[in-house]
Amino acid sequence: MSLKDTLRSAQPESSGPLVEVRNLEKHFYDNDNIIDRLLGNGPVSIRAVDGISFNIHRGETLGLVGESGCGKSTTGETVLRLQEATDGSVQFRGDRVFEMNGDDLSEFRRNAQVVFQDPYTSLDPRVPVGQTVREALDIHNIGTKTERNERVRDLLERVGLSEDQFDRYPSEFSGGQRQRIGIARALALNPDFLVLDEPTSALDVSVQAQILNLLADLQEEFELTYLLISHDLSVIRHICDRVAVMYLGEIAEIADVDTLFESPKHPYTKALLESVPRAETAERDRDIETLQGDVPSPRNPPSGCRFRTRCPEVISPNSMDIDQHVYRELMHFRELVENEEISVHKIAQDAGISESATELDSREQKAFVETVKDEVLDIELPSSHESTVNDAIAHLVDEEWERAATELRSEYESICETSNPQLTDDEQPVACHLYK
Amino acid sequence: MKPILRISDLSTRFFTKSGQVNAVESLSMSIDDGEVFGIVGESGSGKSVTARSLIRLIESPGKITAGKIEYRNAEVADEIEDSNPEAVDGDYVDLAALPEDVVRSLRGPSFSMIFQDPESSFNPTLTVGEQIAEAVEVQRRASSNPRSVKSRTSSSAYSLRSYAYGTIMPNRSYVSSESKDRAVELLQQVGIPDPEERVDEYPHEYSGGMLQRAMIAQALAGEPDILVADEPTTALDVTIQAQVLNLLRDIQEETGMTILLITHNLGVIARMCDRVGVMYAGEIVERGTLSNIFDEAVHPYTKGLLGSIPDIGSAGGRLQPIEGNVPSLMDEEMGNRCYFADRCPKAMKTCLEKPADLSVDGAKEHEVQCVLAKEEYDESDALDPGQFEGEDS
Repeated sequence: MSLKDTLRSAQPESSGPLVEVRNLEKHFYDNDNIIDRLLGNGPVSIRAVDGISFNIHRGETLGLVGESGCGKSTTGETVLRLQEATDGSVQFRGDRVFEMNGDDLSEFRRNAQVVFQDPYTSLDPRVPVGQTVREALDIHNIGTKTERNERVRDLLERVGLSEDQFDRYPSEFSGGQRQRIGIARALALNPDFLVLDEPTSALDVSVQAQILNLLADLQEEFELTYLLISHDLSVIRHICDRVAVMYLGEIAEIADVDTLFESPKHPYTKALLESVPRAETAERDRDIETLQGDVPSPRNPPSGCRFRTRCPEVISPNSMDIDQHVYRELMHFRELVENEEISVHKIAQDAGISESATELDSREQKAFVETVKDEVLDIELPSSHESTVNDAIAHLVDEEWERAATELRSEYESICETSNPQLTDDEQPVACHLYK
Repeated sequence: MKPILRISDLSTRFFTKSGQVNAVESLSMSIDDGEVFGIVGESGSGKSVTARSLIRLIESPGKITAGKIEYRNAEVADEIEDSNPEAVDGDYVDLAALPEDVVRSLRGPSFSMIFQDPESSFNPTLTVGEQIAEAVEVQRRASSNPRSVKSRTSSSAYSLRSYAYGTIMPNRSYVSSESKDRAVELLQQVGIPDPEERVDEYPHEYSGGMLQRAMIAQALAGEPDILVADEPTTALDVTIQAQVLNLLRDIQEETGMTILLITHNLGVIARMCDRVGVMYAGEIVERGTLSNIFDEAVHPYTKGLLGSIPDIGSAGGRLQPIEGNVPSLMDEEMGNRCYFADRCPKAMKTCLEKPADLSVDGAKEHEVQCVLAKEEYDESDALDPGQFEGEDS
């Protein structure tokens, strides 16, 4: 039996999705060393991945897209059991990955491989590339040494290098070539499933195109299933069949690639697509509604929907008659009040109130309220909402943050902050209260 | 109108242990007052070195070996005429011929630069406000004594004595309160929320997007004529990139300053620039307006670059990559030919000679360094694909 057959016979057929991920969670802990414990500081959990579920079908490419820190790489690593999951399950061909050990696990390792982002740090500089590619074959003890070397030469040719580069060191290769070596290494054991973690983001566009074409060819030739992790939406669009959009450890939307790019549902997906600058002359005059603010910290994610702090379509209470952009602005204002992020002393100064004043008269109070609105709110409030906001601001004079926040909350609380939307159960699953 | 910046035959070389690297090779271009000029290219094409050469930030073993960098500013020309007559030509001052201290005095009010990686561009031990205020302070002291170039540079604030004082008495601060107020204003201008509080925070308390805004604020401190932005959004996420690009556009419209934008991202170029230069192996191989480059490109490299970007508007299909890799720019490997010939799908025998800058269809602003501008590709003249074998790998 030749080496190729040995590797091939390792694949029994079965139906159903190749990979099933259910409620996967991965939390990291900060402040978790002995000194912190002695000092009585509790560990702070960072919810990198917080309960996500998806399937990957045989032969497809599932894209995982999101901004840095959203947990997409952690997801990839946890699915492969390179990180121990906090909770949830992953099934590979129906077998539970987290419960595997011994032969099962090594069988799984053979069938699920990974290509890393940075081709400069993911290859050992002191090992010739042929040996790097062969290492997996050595570890799994497959074939004789001659057969292994033969296979490595084959693979090098297959990924667009030449077999006489077997004995060269990584430093002799360019970034694109190194990424080809990384791909050859991942393919050595003839896996079914590859996690591609930002495989082209360290490369120039012309080289990126070569690698993307290569990945497409290999997928066809070896019937591979890919989980492609990327922040680059045009790469995602180009090679994925389905796409999951992640935000702060959760999946916001899953859809097949055309649906997602042509009729996105989740406000975050829409904003993401709109933010990408396109390489065409019309780009200059395109009006981009940018999202406000930054991604919140996963140490302290917002309540309810995690995107609500930046969402342009945040939902106002049912009965309320309010313009969307006014509501958005008020939500932002509430955020500032709740986090006590308004410099009241400075504003009091600007309003002409002396620091020694203890009781403010009504004129000073009014000046203070107007100054806050002037400096913090970007819009003119319609009269119907003025009194509530004015009352709340008045509490800030005495730095009664809690009270101001409570008053605003009782009036303007949105469903988006009270409950976390779950993915809908239809053709285009989306986690947003707008679709229920 | 005369251009604000006129660069002719600029060459910047690096003299490394393993040999001479020609990072920028006889580069000429001019940038008009108030425009956004983009330079796009792959890594190693020399675009960042070009940017740094313009404001003379090249460090050893690098050196500007030839060429002129002429900057138009009648006031500065006047001021400098006495001390450095050879560098002045009418309204223009040749930066390449000026001594270091004079160039230094121009950084701030004439030029400033924002860098790619905001996290490593700030000093982590000083507050963001202090660092911006320091830039303001330098300008303020300079303008209070504008006649003397010396006063701007050899300020005692940077002396060992003041350093020692500062260490012993940390409260003794270099910046005045006016500068601090101006820093708050600048932070406000670049859209930092709650600038009065934020001004006293340290860089690690800022997110990447906010630090990039802070760096823009710092660059604006001297109200420069020309802002050099080297990959200003490369380290940022797309939604934050969109914010920062919008900010740069707004500031440019408000102040009318000239921006030289360096990036590898053609989308960013399309969003920001009036004119574009495409760089390859230390040269600008094609330049023109946005539509010249995106719709009427002539150079096979420009076309290849455009063809390799996956289109976000439609799925699938094969990309058209450029075969091979970016050349190393080592002097002994360069030879006197079109540097793209070894990767070019339309290389001909004439490409073994260096092509001149040719204008396309007589258009003044559209120039290309390729023979295809004046002749059709002829297969019978095609270059033997084996021609360059053995040169690389």
